Amino acid sequence: MEAAQVIKKEAQVVVALAGNPNSGKTTVFNSLTGARQHVGNWPGVTVEKKEGQLFSEGKAVRVVDLPGTYSLSAYSEDEAVARNYILLEKPDVVINIVDATNLERNLYLTTQLLEMGANVVIALNMSDELKARQMEIDMKKLSELLDVPVVRTVATRNQGMKELVNSVLQAAKTKKKEFLRVNYGKEMEKELTSLEKDILSNTKLAEKFSSRWLAVKILEGDESVLNELIKYAGPKQIFAGREDAVKRLESMWGEDIDSLVADRRYGFISGLAKEVIKRRKSAADRASTSDRIDSIVTNRYLGIPVFLLAMWAIFQFTFKIGDPLIGLVESLFEWFGGAVMAWLESLGAAELLISLVGDGIIGGVGSVLVFIPPIFLLFFAISLLEDSGYMARAAYIVDRFMHSLGLHGKSFIPLLVGFGCNTPAIMATRTLENKNDRLITILINPLMSCAARLPVYVLFAGAFFGARQGMVIFSLYLLGIVLAIIMGVVFKRLLFKGETSHFVMELPPYRIPTLKSTFIHMWERGSAFIRKAGTIIFAVVILVWVLSSLPAGVEYASQGSLLGRIGGFVAPIFSPAGFGTWEAAAALIFGVLAKEVVVGTLGVVYGIGEAGLSEAIALHWTPLSAYAFMVMTLIYVPCMAVIGAIKRETNSWGWTAFSVGYTFVLGWLMAVLVFQVGKLLGLG
Amino acid sequence: MTGAMTISSAMQDYLEVILELSEKVESVRVTDIASRLNIAKASVTQAVSGLKGMGLVAQERYGLVQLTRTGREEAIKVRNRHRTLRKFLVEILGVDYRIAEKDACLMEHVVSPQTMEKLIQFLEKADRTENAGIFPRAISVKNPELYNGEEVKRMKSVNTRALSELKTGEGGTVMRITAKNPVRRRILEMGVTLGTDISVKGKAPLGDPIELLVKGYHLSLRKEEAAHVFVEVQQ
Repeated sequence: MEAAQVIKKEAQVVVALAGNPNSGKTTVFNSLTGARQHVGNWPGVTVEKKEGQLFSEGKAVRVVDLPGTYSLSAYSEDEAVARNYILLEKPDVVINIVDATNLERNLYLTTQLLEMGANVVIALNMSDELKARQMEIDMKKLSELLDVPVVRTVATRNQGMKELVNSVLQAAKTKKKEFLRVNYGKEMEKELTSLEKDILSNTKLAEKFSSRWLAVKILEGDESVLNELIKYAGPKQIFAGREDAVKRLESMWGEDIDSLVADRRYGFISGLAKEVIKRRKSAADRASTSDRIDSIVTNRYLGIPVFLLAMWAIFQFTFKIGDPLIGLVESLFEWFGGAVMAWLESLGAAELLISLVGDGIIGGVGSVLVFIPPIFLLFFAISLLEDSGYMARAAYIVDRFMHSLGLHGKSFIPLLVGFGCNTPAIMATRTLENKNDRLITILINPLMSCAARLPVYVLFAGAFFGARQGMVIFSLYLLGIVLAIIMGVVFKRLLFKGETSHFVMELPPYRIPTLKSTFIHMWERGSAFIRKAGTIIFAVVILVWVLSSLPAGVEYASQGSLLGRIGGFVAPIFSPAGFGTWEAAAALIFGVLAKEVVVGTLGVVYGIGEAGLSEAIALHWTPLSAYAFMVMTLIYVPCMAVIGAIKRETNSWGWTAFSVGYTFVLGWLMAVLVFQVGKLLGLG
Repeated sequence: MTGAMTISSAMQDYLEVILELSEKVESVRVTDIASRLNIAKASVTQAVSGLKGMGLVAQERYGLVQLTRTGREEAIKVRNRHRTLRKFLVEILGVDYRIAEKDACLMEHVVSPQTMEKLIQFLEKADRTENAGIFPRAISVKNPELYNGEEVKRMKSVNTRALSELKTGEGGTVMRITAKNPVRRRILEMGVTLGTDISVKGKAPLGDPIELLVKGYHLSLRKEEAAHVFVEVQQ
């Protein structure tokens, strides 16, 4: 309470964290804010927004974690988010986390931050690793040359955090007027100066942006900046001059303007690095521990076995440990629901109310929480992989294979996990940086046949295919994979035409992950799932309950219920697939709750429970219609937890609806195809 | 430098144009060269067959023209001379760049290796003084001779190959990046800029992507991306 009051009273200091991926930014964020974190999404995009708070000298500091980026050219959503935040929200201070062991590349972002006019404090992180590399960095000189405070930190061990905060609070008091000017060379400087003059003469522009930064961006031809500028009056003449200048510079150097600018920036940085880095021994002289690990892990012969072993371990860890926990949650809620229902009954409550509380609400919460064990375990494992540096290697090893399917190396883990459960799998697509790669992986993920679909296959294959049931079930898994590959290619061709995916990826040095950040990562994912996907799951459970229980007095999920009537109404569309009965339709509708519910529902609608179900099915179905139904169960509409995860990860109702729509159409088409072709072949 | 083979200035111009075109389009046709140089197709055909005779270009049927390895090396040499001269004319003498472009075009064919070497040294020094205002000491490299020597060596060895063709352990200096945006920009931002040293650390077990060492860290690129980065291999 007290803390909350402090925030309101004091003028808050707002600090943004910026840095390269793998620079230890998240660890610094966790170190600064501890448990006072909030995870959300940046408006309109799928980029995650993390905020936290810290208190120092009686001041509340709001810490905003910007996405990890190598640059701020706004080619990706991540970069656009980070750039817009710094430009438009103008945080008081930007902490730039710089990996001390990789100074040159990290400073590329720094030069951009400084050009933008951000009030930067550099956290020179992982400074402890310098010694092992026989390197030293002259921090005082670095600070002098860039004219910003530089603080030495080792975030994994909480070192330097206090100094960092002090330095930030100090910096927040001063507003910088002089910004760093990278020297772009005589010819480019001439153009930049004239552009700057034009910008400064436009008061609106000059007020909002650093004129130097804007001049560089205009010259560079940064599309998002040019588009933004069109909103302002007067930039037309600025653009007119630009085209000539670019043409002149490009023909003069024989390189395009992108290269020239990047070139000059890195030239500036390499001069700076020469000045501040003291090497006692060339780093290349001795193989580092990281190189030694790589000589096994990415070895030509051992690389793939190690990779497969790691994947097997993740899968086992997530589901072998997860399953008993899921069972535990399930029985806990069953018991709790039963107890509450009995208690309500003893109070003489109306039957409808008892059912609402027991089957609807408690059942609904239970079906959300059931996903928690695998999500926590999977993200524990993924966090270990990412923080240790193996994730990048895994993508590196499998990319050749995935790329031949039109996907990215990092798509592999989400697709693999999909065989266990598509919900955590879809959440795991976060590791894909490219938005299109991520979307395609999300869209085809439900085609990976999850464990919940297995009971349906077992029931039908057991009832009809006897000794060959193993093969039948295997064929369904295979069908899912084949369709996923086809749909992946189709989506890439039709939806993301002309948009290239690339594999320009850093292979960071191996590091020992800290338990703290692993647990925080796990908790973030798990709690985000409950908050975001949970509402959808809960809503669907209640909706299905309402449909099954109304009109009042009807038997739960019987033919007379709304659900039964809807089932009867839609049944004809499944006739071409061989299962045009209200029972099958109702089971499919229930299957949206969770695919394994199809089995239980069939038990209810045939009025026999699960024990004699196999015989009942054998009576009402043929092998062909059973196979068509299994195909339908495999493909049609993901379960509500997956729908919730898709909504959360795409941050778009449009893509969520698309995913539901296409899977339904595809499922129906395939089921019809199976049934009709089967009939033609005389299998019906 | 050119050794036994002397190539006429006109031929050098052709080589330069073919190189330039081949970096922009998939396949260079005689028509492209003709329209680029604004001359008749027949003359180009004649010139190309001359170049073919010297083993500098290979021409398949249907008129597609391709530089051979030697042809490519020659073309790069000519282009480097051209750029250095143009830079000198524009930046040092203050010649208008259109005129400088024309003059460089003529001078590139006749200038002696020694003059080129001295010119490069001079420009290096000029670059240093120009930037001296910002980092006086960073620029005064401990051993300027070494720095110049490297630059000269770079001009002399013109063994330019695509990064994707290098074997593990090989490396060189980035000379040209022909990738298109946004991959191009990403490659540049990751530190693969012109003049940067880069070497191949290894290949993934399936042969693609490849692992590179650049600016002291490890970067991976798919071969199709690495094929757009040309490096001059150090012998």
